[in-house]
Amino acid sequence: MIEDRALLEAFRRGEASAFSALVIKYREGVYRVARRMLGSHEDAADATQEVFIRAHRALPRFDGRSQLSTWLYRITVNLCLDMRSRLARLSVADDDAPTEGVSGLTTEEQVEHREIGRLVARAIAALPPRQRAMVALRLYQDLPYQEIARIMGCSEGTVKATMFAALRRLRGALIQEGVRAP
Amino acid sequence: MSDRCREVLERLVEATTGSLPPQGREGIAEHLAVCESCRDEAAAIEASVARLRQAGRFSVPPGFWEDFTDRLNARLTADRVPVAMRLRRWLAVPRHAWGTAAAILVVALALSAAVRFGPVASRPDPVLPNARTLMTESMTTTLPSLVEVLDTWRAGMTPEADLASDRRGP
Repeated sequence: MIEDRALLEAFRRGEASAFSALVIKYREGVYRVARRMLGSHEDAADATQEVFIRAHRALPRFDGRSQLSTWLYRITVNLCLDMRSRLARLSVADDDAPTEGVSGLTTEEQVEHREIGRLVARAIAALPPRQRAMVALRLYQDLPYQEIARIMGCSEGTVKATMFAALRRLRGALIQEGVRAP
Repeated sequence: MSDRCREVLERLVEATTGSLPPQGREGIAEHLAVCESCRDEAAAIEASVARLRQAGRFSVPPGFWEDFTDRLNARLTADRVPVAMRLRRWLAVPRHAWGTAAAILVVALALSAAVRFGPVASRPDPVLPNARTLMTESMTTTLPSLVEVLDTWRAGMTPEADLASDRRGP
């Protein structure tokens, strides 16, 4: 947190390298959330660019009341929700790009892992946009409920209830796809 | 599903997907021990979360981040900061803010002094606009014919004028 504050102060002093450091620190997290929400590498890459462009413009007005990460993820989620409604298409079903590899797997297991990744992506894509955002933030970014609530602009109770509903839906979708528990 | 079951399962989801403080875990085990449906549900939730997590995070193509950074820098360069924002940033430095305030005060004082003690502007002649208003359309249209009459009069009267001067004598 102190590091973020130091980066912010350096940015305000006009040090361009401070923003570059901030991008390097958060770009993967922003990309992964965008990828889960938008379902394609191209859209997620565009969204990630746009998030940092918007952040660069708005950073001088950032008052520091929330964490920098919360603020960035809020920009990401809002942008992706907006992009989803504008794109009005669902390309996630075909999002079979590789997920991070798991070492020590045989070729067959790697194929299975990849197939499960595709089915999970499809199941998540079928969720309503806000549920999808919460799942991405919780399961793949490991953010606490409190921070997710701030990002989504709702109460912690709403996050809990939404996560519970999302997991039940995902479980049903995975069973339907024939994915068994590991 | 009762409210109690729902509450316990929501907390279980919180515990399974991330962290739950010890005080949040209170009562979960006790409830699961006596509620079979919640026990089954809890097992299903844990299995689903494990499967979802196992799917892993998306990876990016090789060289993606280098290209990403180049494109972002190009856009940031092209996306010039608006003047208002640059001014705001500049004014965020106290030294700049006070300097600007002092400069504005000096200019304002100079302007007010110029207005208060500066030379009085010459007043326009009040007669000229009035004279213009006296000129009517009929005057401007009849003026050429008056000149014509005068010319005729001059041409016709010249000999008589000479005679008159003869009669008066030297």
